[in-house]
Amino acid sequence: MSYVCSVPTLCRSILSSLLLLVASGIFAPSAPAADTLTIYSGRSERLIKPVLDAFTATTGIHIELLSSGTTELVNRLKAEGDRTSADLLITNDAGSLELARTAGLLHPLNMREVERAIPAQFRASDNAWVGLSGRFWIVAYNTTMVKPDQVKSLLDLADPKWKDKIAIPNSGSEYLQAGVSVIRATYGEEKTKQFLQGLKTNADSQVYQKSSQIVDAVAKGQVALGIVNHYYVYRHLAAQPGAPIAVLMPDQQEGGMGAIMNVAGVGIIKSTKHLDSAKLLVEFLVAQAGQKLFADLDKEYPLHQDVKADPALVERKSFRAALVPLSKLAELREPTLTLIEQVGLR
Amino acid sequence: MATAGIILLPLGYVTAQALSADPAVWSRLWATRIPELLFNTVSLACSVSIITLVLGVSTAWLVTRVEFPGRRLWEGALVLPLAMPTYVLAYVYSYLLGFGGPVEHLWQLIAGPQARIFSPHSYWGATLVMALDTFPFVYLLSRSALLSMNVSFEEVARASGVSRLSTLWRVTLPLMRPSIAAGVALVILYVVSDFGAVSLLRYQTLTYAVFQQMTGRSDNAAASILSLLLVVLALIFLITERWFRQRSRFYQTTGRYRAPQRRRYGWLGTIAVTGYLGLIVGAAFALPATLLIQWSLSPEAQGTLDNRFFGFIWNSGLLAACAATGGVVIGLPLAYLASRRPTLLNLACLQAAYAGYVLPGPVAALAVLVLFTKLAPVFYGSVLILIVAYVIHFLPAGLQSLEPALQHMSPNLEEVARTLGLGMRDTWRRVTLPLVRNGFVVAWVLMFLQTMKELPATLLLRPVGFDTLAIRVWMEASEEYYQLAAPSALLIVLLSLPALALLVSKDWRAA
Repeated sequence: MSYVCSVPTLCRSILSSLLLLVASGIFAPSAPAADTLTIYSGRSERLIKPVLDAFTATTGIHIELLSSGTTELVNRLKAEGDRTSADLLITNDAGSLELARTAGLLHPLNMREVERAIPAQFRASDNAWVGLSGRFWIVAYNTTMVKPDQVKSLLDLADPKWKDKIAIPNSGSEYLQAGVSVIRATYGEEKTKQFLQGLKTNADSQVYQKSSQIVDAVAKGQVALGIVNHYYVYRHLAAQPGAPIAVLMPDQQEGGMGAIMNVAGVGIIKSTKHLDSAKLLVEFLVAQAGQKLFADLDKEYPLHQDVKADPALVERKSFRAALVPLSKLAELREPTLTLIEQVGLR
Repeated sequence: MATAGIILLPLGYVTAQALSADPAVWSRLWATRIPELLFNTVSLACSVSIITLVLGVSTAWLVTRVEFPGRRLWEGALVLPLAMPTYVLAYVYSYLLGFGGPVEHLWQLIAGPQARIFSPHSYWGATLVMALDTFPFVYLLSRSALLSMNVSFEEVARASGVSRLSTLWRVTLPLMRPSIAAGVALVILYVVSDFGAVSLLRYQTLTYAVFQQMTGRSDNAAASILSLLLVVLALIFLITERWFRQRSRFYQTTGRYRAPQRRRYGWLGTIAVTGYLGLIVGAAFALPATLLIQWSLSPEAQGTLDNRFFGFIWNSGLLAACAATGGVVIGLPLAYLASRRPTLLNLACLQAAYAGYVLPGPVAALAVLVLFTKLAPVFYGSVLILIVAYVIHFLPAGLQSLEPALQHMSPNLEEVARTLGLGMRDTWRRVTLPLVRNGFVVAWVLMFLQTMKELPATLLLRPVGFDTLAIRVWMEASEEYYQLAAPSALLIVLLSLPALALLVSKDWRAA
């Protein structure tokens, strides 16, 4: 037979290579080294990795990072149960952390460093999760297309005059879910539903997966307004200082609900085998040095009272935040999702 | 049976979840999302299959029946888009056609500063990207058919005074029908289960909606309802294709044929043909590849080339090779049994394997995950579950080429071998396998390529520290960091090229 590579040979080599793989243990989960922490992170890798790298540089503890969607990772932790290799969970939303806590996935903490650094309203009652940085759900506007006094409240974006002029995140976004929860808790079901219907009509196909895309679309003038977390705008401005985009802090009018706040936070997984290292990381993240990284690199509002936000940001003391407590975001979520589905947001 | 079982379990899991979901969720979905999603998915599949049919068959006919300078080069170049994942093409086109992008600037020079072009984030954008990316499936299978077809049929028609066009229409195309149908079915299944392109182009299809539901919600009720619809939809396409193919079965009687006569075109014809092929290959491969290279050479992109990057390369290649091998080992007996002993059970097993392809990546992933947690937690968090998901997901791509290969081979040949005293095993080794080697190689390569490009299942199942190149492209491209996504994208393309070279090389064609 004159075949270049006959099938039986091919079969045999395939089989033997498979066996080799099994033998080399590639199919068996590898046990992480003692000085390695595995982190499931729902925050964009771009925003969290520099901070974790700084931790590795200080302590020598290596970090394995799995970046994905927050809700996706909480689902995964639930499915994995005690067998998970994760030691910590980092998310972009307090509601998701609270859900993970009530599902019994997180380890309560009794750490003086945490209690001293982070005000109580930004932590779980048993410290099973700890807020790390604050963010506000704001209106980003294109300065050549919109005057800042044209919009007072998030709810104004449902006005028909903004038809095809706004960009919004998709309904899977935890920011959107948290934001809608706060609006529901403040204004009630009916008004929120009208708002969402208006939003859906006005945004039409301008529904984005990523906040940075929304900021891009606003800066380019593809749309006039977008709803995003504040730091995406400031990060865009830091990279492209002249961009015609600015932040409008909504709902500050007399009797308004205040700007919608959320926190990114961290929790230690209950089944972790590296509790001490994990605590070291939490300690690092809440300490002044760690908090400063969130402020400087990510343009977020640090939660540690003694750490200042980036001076480019709207002064924190100059505006009000909405009064819905963070831990309530968890119980508000289910009815919010039902409402979002009823309206049929993408 | 066992393999079919592994493939059916996830399907059963999803069906059970969907049927046990709260009726309120069903009615809410029917009232809001489902009509839009169904319409979007079906219309996209239709437009893409029409365009790929035209592109695939016409290009295959040109390179096999016409002689022109550079023909052999084009023959290979037409396969190149297969190395370009849909999400790479989608992100290149969302830059090119996007708001304020280069194409719009060009158009504004002609039509005035306010002129706008169609947005790539639309039905037409998705159609364009999906069609350019998937037409090689139809091209490859049509070309295979044209090359292995017995030329004497056509010659008889011509000798009986039938015109060229009429011969093409009445003899050649009908003979190609099984291959064309297989190719188009492959395209449709690919479009229906694609996640990468539609998500980057923000075009709402069922698969994209399933992923959004899975990653945005803590329960999977809505996701499994949408997946069930998706599976039903795909089954309808599949059954139609089967039925169509059942009606036309052609056997060949010898192993090798004379090469068909190729007509020579004049210079005008040559220019037209070259222009046509150049446009297609340019839009589907050359232009995107040039941009990727340009972006990869930018300083931002160079900064990402470190040790981590080499890890991503290793992960991608390893996963793809394992999945393709597993797929062929499982697929060959399934296809063989269904073709040679078409008992109800064997046919059912084969059809079950096809269902895996249309179980969208995310749902297949979650189902596999839950199955492993229940049945074999030892493997939990390992590469194995990811590979199982790949095999389930991409087996049909392999079967699509294993099956026609077996169908083309007359059962007589095996029967003769048996009558002449060869044992069962020897018949397989010396008759069946050499004859189906074409299909075998094509199947392996197709599965390797698709696994390397795979996105949603990898996103959901990857063990910690097991990011692939595809994941890197996705992460950067979905935030429109075009430069940073480019090196990984370019590497996926480059790693796919040797496999593609195998596809167009002489060895397997000669068999």
